[in-house]
Amino acid sequence: MIDLIQNTVDGVMIGSSYGLLALGFTLIFGVMRRLDLAYGPSIMIGGYFGTLLYLHYGAGPFAVAIAVVIGAVIAGIYVERLCFAPMKAGAAIASMVSSFAIWMQLEQAAILVLPRHTYPFPPLATAAPLEFGPFLVRVDHLIMLACALALAAAVHIALYRTRFGLALRAIIGNPVAAHLVGINVRTAVLLAFAGASAVGGAAGFLVLAVDQQVTPMFGMWATLKGLIAMMIGGLGSVPGAVVGGLLLGIVEANSQWYFGPQIRDLVAYVVLFAFLVVRPQGLLGSAPEPAMPPKA
Amino acid sequence: MLDISDLVTAYGKIDALKGVSLQVETGKITCLLGPNGAGKTTLMMTIAGLLHPRRGSIRLAGTELVGLSPARIVGHGIALVPENRLVFPQMSVRENLLAGAYQRNDKSGIDADLQQMYARFPRLNERNEQLAGTLSGGEQQMLAVARALMSRPRVLLMDEPSLGLAPLIVAEIFNIVRELNRDGTTIFLVEQNAHMALQVAHRFLLMEQGRITFKGMPGQLAEDEVIQRAYLGTRRAAG
Amino acid sequence: MDDYLIGVLSNIGVISFVALSAYLLLLTGEISFGQQGFFAIGAYAAGIATALWGWSLTTALVWGAAVSGSAALLVGVPTLRLHGLYFAIATLAFAEMVRILFELFRYQISIDGELIGPNGTDGFRNIRYIFDHNIDAFQFLLLIYSLLAATMLAFMLLERSRLGVIFRMIGQDETLAELQGIPVARYRVLAAGIAGMLAGIGGGLYAHLTTYVEPRIFDIMLGVHSLAYGLIGGLGTALGPLLGVLIDIGLLESIRALAGYRMIIFGGLVAMLLIVRPRGLLDEVVVHKIGRGWRRVALWVRRSGLKPRANNARATGGPP
Repeated sequence: MIDLIQNTVDGVMIGSSYGLLALGFTLIFGVMRRLDLAYGPSIMIGGYFGTLLYLHYGAGPFAVAIAVVIGAVIAGIYVERLCFAPMKAGAAIASMVSSFAIWMQLEQAAILVLPRHTYPFPPLATAAPLEFGPFLVRVDHLIMLACALALAAAVHIALYRTRFGLALRAIIGNPVAAHLVGINVRTAVLLAFAGASAVGGAAGFLVLAVDQQVTPMFGMWATLKGLIAMMIGGLGSVPGAVVGGLLLGIVEANSQWYFGPQIRDLVAYVVLFAFLVVRPQGLLGSAPEPAMPPKA
Repeated sequence: MLDISDLVTAYGKIDALKGVSLQVETGKITCLLGPNGAGKTTLMMTIAGLLHPRRGSIRLAGTELVGLSPARIVGHGIALVPENRLVFPQMSVRENLLAGAYQRNDKSGIDADLQQMYARFPRLNERNEQLAGTLSGGEQQMLAVARALMSRPRVLLMDEPSLGLAPLIVAEIFNIVRELNRDGTTIFLVEQNAHMALQVAHRFLLMEQGRITFKGMPGQLAEDEVIQRAYLGTRRAAG
Repeated sequence: MDDYLIGVLSNIGVISFVALSAYLLLLTGEISFGQQGFFAIGAYAAGIATALWGWSLTTALVWGAAVSGSAALLVGVPTLRLHGLYFAIATLAFAEMVRILFELFRYQISIDGELIGPNGTDGFRNIRYIFDHNIDAFQFLLLIYSLLAATMLAFMLLERSRLGVIFRMIGQDETLAELQGIPVARYRVLAAGIAGMLAGIGGGLYAHLTTYVEPRIFDIMLGVHSLAYGLIGGLGTALGPLLGVLIDIGLLESIRALAGYRMIIFGGLVAMLLIVRPRGLLDEVVVHKIGRGWRRVALWVRRSGLKPRANNARATGGPP
């Protein structure tokens, strides 16, 4: 029982980052109706910016975080300009495959610049873990949770209390009508991409700082976690992204504890598959039919 | 107010608009009638900037609109109430209306207009916080009209506002069209429902197969001839 | 032909099966990121059949195709209600589950004092059938390409057949197809099964070509690649995915000097290609034009009197 609770607590911590990753993903999907397979790799590029800053200048976590976000945004804009902006309405698959091509490009570019298998990241906190009775909570985990929740709240405010947020929700709701009310859709989409990359970058920084390392495999890992959390929580749903992330984190933490890392990954996919078959719109999503053009 | 000359819009190799020329007079209601596939919606989308014409010009009070982005065209004073309403389904009625005022930043003016919309469309007032996707067809149509009006357009374009609506609601919509025009809005209306359209129009045009085939005033053509041509197109063979 | 070239060509041939597998599903309008799962199942099944059970290669390949085809049918049914992105991610989840299950799968038999068989993450070594039976590399290459040729022939026939039209109809508009009286569900499952079998054949060939498979190979990269080949080579014909594989493996093998920059160059080229050709090089428009051009040539050949005519007057070129 104690293990279950401890795992759940740990799961919530890491799950909050999954939620942020899913948040960026879902924003991009909502606005473009297309899947950006280069999402995780762009964040990884940010991570490499961060580690460079750390290695060469010994920068502290705050500066590294900013570097990660900047790197992720630059990479994100690159992806948007190349894979999404120039594509016509019906070319959804082409966009996805194009983003996959850029995923590979970014991964190889990262390996070329920093060829070692792993690079260090500054820790979020070095204090000893806090004790709450029989439970242990790492200080850096707490910081990660707090930051993730704050960011999710910020995104919510941006979406629902700002003019730009209104524009994004309009585009998500009906892209043609968004044009008709005078929203500059192309610019808004680009900014949404940048924003989503920034959110992803922040999530990436938190995970990397807790892990204290970055590897070139981080890109695929981030994409997968974000994707699974997004689908479980509900495609195109902002609160769904957070909930999906938390749920994924809890399920993973417990699976790993009782059955080991391989089963942990297996369970994540089983849960995803089960949701898709039984309830494709996830926990909080709306339409079971995606707005994405479903045909090739 | 709106001067369109020799407009050609194509889908791939097929010309949907084959050189359309027409004028929409300031302060009047101009109706465009025609059968399905004649190109009416294509014309509306071209004016709104969603489609790019191959050739031709669209001038709004002298300013050329061809080549501008849809957002810029809205900025110049065109608002389109699209076919099928196209409301923002996950946003409330109020947010839909505010979206219509997207390009404006005069907060007091927007609030005043908002109140005016609620006065003009009481049903929208009742359903203020309701999600637009849950409204009935007629309510969505009113919402789409009100949303377009929120940008204080110089020309209001309406694409088949009666589509899919019950006759009572259609009558209501056309009443609103008349009212709006009385208050000074220039309206360019595309319709299949020739009967209702002719009752409000000051001028009307017939479009068949991408060309304007008649320009005139209601009464110049017998109504049943108009209806026949609006729904079926002119019969080319003798008679 | 030197060994290196044989190796590259064999690789191209084998991967073409997975590319065609993804392509078939694309025809019915669905994106699959998971055909590598059936590739894996085919590889392991055929490998076990020859290395552990002593079956012949042919039987093993058929067995591999049957197992992967059945798995595809099993997955095809619950995913029937899914479309577009939902379907794509379901296939991805499935393929990953398969990969992880193979990481946990152990089935070893002692043969001549040696432990042979799949051993979890360590993979499955010693699938030595072609060596034990003295089949040289070139002969195996011929086997791969005869199977591939047969598959291509089947695709060509499919394009012209009623089944092919049905698949494309479902791909264009499923609701419309349903309204025409087409039992869409049945055909989608059929397509899934055939696609699974194709990937399984490829897998079986792959296992024997490389004599060693491990779960790591059957990852998402392979899956998205399979889809990408069709997108690059063109979706208008079954030759498209083949062209895509040829370009990826063939062209890039030949610029070995740029090995470190390979993905950077290739990734950029693919992205730019897709901007101008979102449905690939041999897309439907190009194929249609080639078809028209070909018919014109055939008509010209007939009309210009290259074939003997009974009536001389006709040969002077008056109207028929």
